[in-house]
Amino acid sequence: MATATRHGRDVYGATLTRRQFVKTGGALIVGFSLAGRSVLEQAAEAAASKNSLDPTLAGSWFEIHADNTILIRTGRVDFGQTTAHTAYKQIVAEELNVPFEAMTAVVMGDTDRTPDGGFSAGYLEYGGANLRKAAAYTYQALLDLASSTLRVDKSQLSVKDGVVSGGGKRISYGDLVRGQQLKLTIPVTGDLTSMFGLTVTGTPPMKPTSEYTIIGKSFPNAVTPSKVSAKEVWVTDVRLPNMLHGRVVHPKTLGSTLVSAGELNKTRYPNAQVVVKGSLVGVVAPTEWEAIGAAQQIAADTKWTEWQGLPGDAQLYTWLREQADWKTTPVSKSDKSRGEVAPALASASKTLSASYELPFMKHAPMGPTIAVADARTDGTVYIHTHNQNPQALRGQIAMMLGTSIDNVVVRIYAGPGHYGRSNGGNAGAEDEAVILSKALGRPVRVQWMRPDDLQWSTQSPPAIANIRIGWDADGKITAYQADHYMPAMQDDRLVGALIAGLPTPPPPDIRPQAGSIGSTVNGISDPWVYDLVPNVAESGYGTFQLGQKASPLSIGLRDHSMRTPGQLQQNYPRELAISEAAALAGIDAIEFRLRQTTDERLIGALKAVREASGWQTRPSPHPKAAASGGTPVSGQGISVMLRSGTYWACVCQVSVVPDTGTVKVDKYTIAVDPGIVVNPLQLKRTIEGGALMGLSHALYEEMTFDQSGVTSRDWRSYPILTMNDVPEIKVVILNHPEIGAYGGGSEAANALAVSAIAGAFLDATSKPARRLPLKAAYVQSVLKA
Amino acid sequence: MAGITLTVNGTRREVQAPGDTPLLYVLRNDLELSGPQFGCGLSQCGACSVLVDGKEARSCVLPVSRVAGKEVTTLEGLPARWAGQQALPASEADPALHPVQQAWIDEQVPQCGFCQNGMMIKATELLDEVPAPTVAQIKDAFMSGASPHLCRCGSYSAILDAVQRASILMAKGR
Ligand code: FES
Ligand code: FES
Repeated sequence: MATATRHGRDVYGATLTRRQFVKTGGALIVGFSLAGRSVLEQAAEAAASKNSLDPTLAGSWFEIHADNTILIRTGRVDFGQTTAHTAYKQIVAEELNVPFEAMTAVVMGDTDRTPDGGFSAGYLEYGGANLRKAAAYTYQALLDLASSTLRVDKSQLSVKDGVVSGGGKRISYGDLVRGQQLKLTIPVTGDLTSMFGLTVTGTPPMKPTSEYTIIGKSFPNAVTPSKVSAKEVWVTDVRLPNMLHGRVVHPKTLGSTLVSAGELNKTRYPNAQVVVKGSLVGVVAPTEWEAIGAAQQIAADTKWTEWQGLPGDAQLYTWLREQADWKTTPVSKSDKSRGEVAPALASASKTLSASYELPFMKHAPMGPTIAVADARTDGTVYIHTHNQNPQALRGQIAMMLGTSIDNVVVRIYAGPGHYGRSNGGNAGAEDEAVILSKALGRPVRVQWMRPDDLQWSTQSPPAIANIRIGWDADGKITAYQADHYMPAMQDDRLVGALIAGLPTPPPPDIRPQAGSIGSTVNGISDPWVYDLVPNVAESGYGTFQLGQKASPLSIGLRDHSMRTPGQLQQNYPRELAISEAAALAGIDAIEFRLRQTTDERLIGALKAVREASGWQTRPSPHPKAAASGGTPVSGQGISVMLRSGTYWACVCQVSVVPDTGTVKVDKYTIAVDPGIVVNPLQLKRTIEGGALMGLSHALYEEMTFDQSGVTSRDWRSYPILTMNDVPEIKVVILNHPEIGAYGGGSEAANALAVSAIAGAFLDATSKPARRLPLKAAYVQSVLKA
Repeated sequence: MAGITLTVNGTRREVQAPGDTPLLYVLRNDLELSGPQFGCGLSQCGACSVLVDGKEARSCVLPVSRVAGKEVTTLEGLPARWAGQQALPASEADPALHPVQQAWIDEQVPQCGFCQNGMMIKATELLDEVPAPTVAQIKDAFMSGASPHLCRCGSYSAILDAVQRASILMAKGR
């Protein structure tokens, strides 16, 4: 292997080197160096360690090939939002001035084949920003190359469709790199296996957003054809030679330890084996059906200790109010808190004081978690999985095994979306597969069954909020106070490792511990948008996860981020309370919001949704509102949100049959202003999906649990939205290229639904329903009260 | 363990499996087909759906012995099935995609895509019986069978668009 020459060319802080001349092909490969270390040091280190990224080759951001094709690599895993296959290509194509179609391959997630790590969230905010900057460096390097090749001053050159021209000469990128192995080393900072991965640093010149021609167009997702024609290799399709099928017999409760593992019936399951590690009981067999049968037999015969350390769902909110420890964890204040709320409330012409409640919800992927692990005799471990943070998983598996991350490789495949659950590295089955593979010396495929997935995965945490609002005679809010209470929600620990008693990072504690970013601190996650309100006090109170400290397994009810983590829990009470205040003030709920803000983008979104939804401008409740009777009453509700630089406004129209307690959403309209729209078609589809998940949260979703564990175990006990519930959906996309940035966060569509629906319920019935979900029994109790 | 003969996507296959093995595991593990997915194993979601003699069935709970001698069609078999229905000579049939699959691409239906096998199987069954369904009929179809067909990513409204598009493509004989 050739070594990099010492005399690289400086490109705005990046370094361009020629490694060698080659007879065929040729490429420009864009690698990285951690800030403060030389290219040579980095390369030497990579060469010495067999599995870590070779920054000169496998771990590159892009490869520009002699045939003018370009390969993109990203550590971030696309979960169906299509970002990596559409938006990322568009961002790179735009910055490099090449056609979208030139990007022929996207390598995603594999820890030995991608550069930057990071979680599957903030795709545009973090991953997109990295790619944009990396591409900007590359563009400058290509211009430099062209300048010396064509002998034309760089300032005279321009690029269109991957062809550089100037001074009467022209050359394609492919021809520029032909016959050479070039390497561009760009500066980065960060920790590869941390939640955020690496960040590209420096300030290369970037294309002005006003010149964009590729960003803003609707390109289709290149992966869709393979997914609809059964050509995609899903994680469920991974088969390794000599592989065994595994099932795990999870403990009887979330705090039970193993007393004795059951004895295998060798007559019925002649080829099965049982593996016990700590309290982890695994069953493997050459065929999946034998593994399933044997696991059921073992489960029936295995003895566990008893544990009852949870309040049970019926007591959840009482327990959160009266028993949870909200005092130990430092209180968070929003940066928008200002003024003096107490006197302002005292002198307000009217006030509202109310409490809101959200249940535990499950990520509930359509397929239960599955992984294949291959622990080899040389100490290396390969994990084939579907995970939102492969590098973090790699770090955790290395920690569990007490080995170096160089010995761990994670490979990523398509799989069922799970909406944030594994963005700290733990989807569920990976560590269990590793433990079984290591014990047996053979590759093992662990597939969780449906109850495993609902009962042993993390969940979105519950929350309560106390909101007080005061306003004056003109309907101007003079004071807003919000006290938000929510248990910790970023528990990244590997659950199989916990059950087996193997090392994991610490559980969320009052401040982040070494090796963990999770803490019990409940930050303010819902940006305040009503800038005219003079007195604002938003506080976040956090606590430990339910039952976690008391559980002998340190498990209890572990929580994890889901879609709009924390923000859903804070936006729902805020927006419903503001709709209630508008009703008490006798002012139309959209008009009431418009009076509290000068933010042009928020105002634009509110007006757009008002127009598109057929909103009736009038105070709530509806003139025909009723809290009893067998005929449907209808209502309208509004909610707004600012998330990741994107403004949202949502209107839902619902009908309620008071006597039966049924709530139906008839129409969902949403206006979104992300600044620059990257891909309108994909944005629309992602929003529609989010909208329907939001309906599901509003109408159906609530994890049930008793004192020992989760009692939601299948789609009957954890129902979600079905086709019958689909309303008319209207998506209004407001393109504002002059903003000069593309906002992210399209998952916000789910969070907006719950408060808009609850606002519409208030409008239809004149009664506020301050707890999710709006199931019949709860609705009836609200209406009778 | 007796051999069981079944017809999958037009080909006779012999498998060695206990007769009570759910068809899903035979399709995935023995025949290495990747269309049907394991979603619940409880006949509650539709991720594992296949057509058995043209009717949508949940392969996760269907013992393989029960399909002996029957015609099983998986997602992989939809293009050939369509070509057969059109009675097209092989040279004229587009072997790549069934119109339902084409419509799923045109409308960019999948988010994660994990449920879409069952959704396309259900759409195919529906369009065979009702070539131009109303929205209400489409919704009914996805609510019918052993359970409603579930999509966690909320692609239902894209599915409604795609079924209508597939209906148009099929009417054109494409
Ligand atoms: S996997 Fe068969 S219905 Fe869910
Ligand atoms: S597209 Fe993800 S479950 Fe349906």
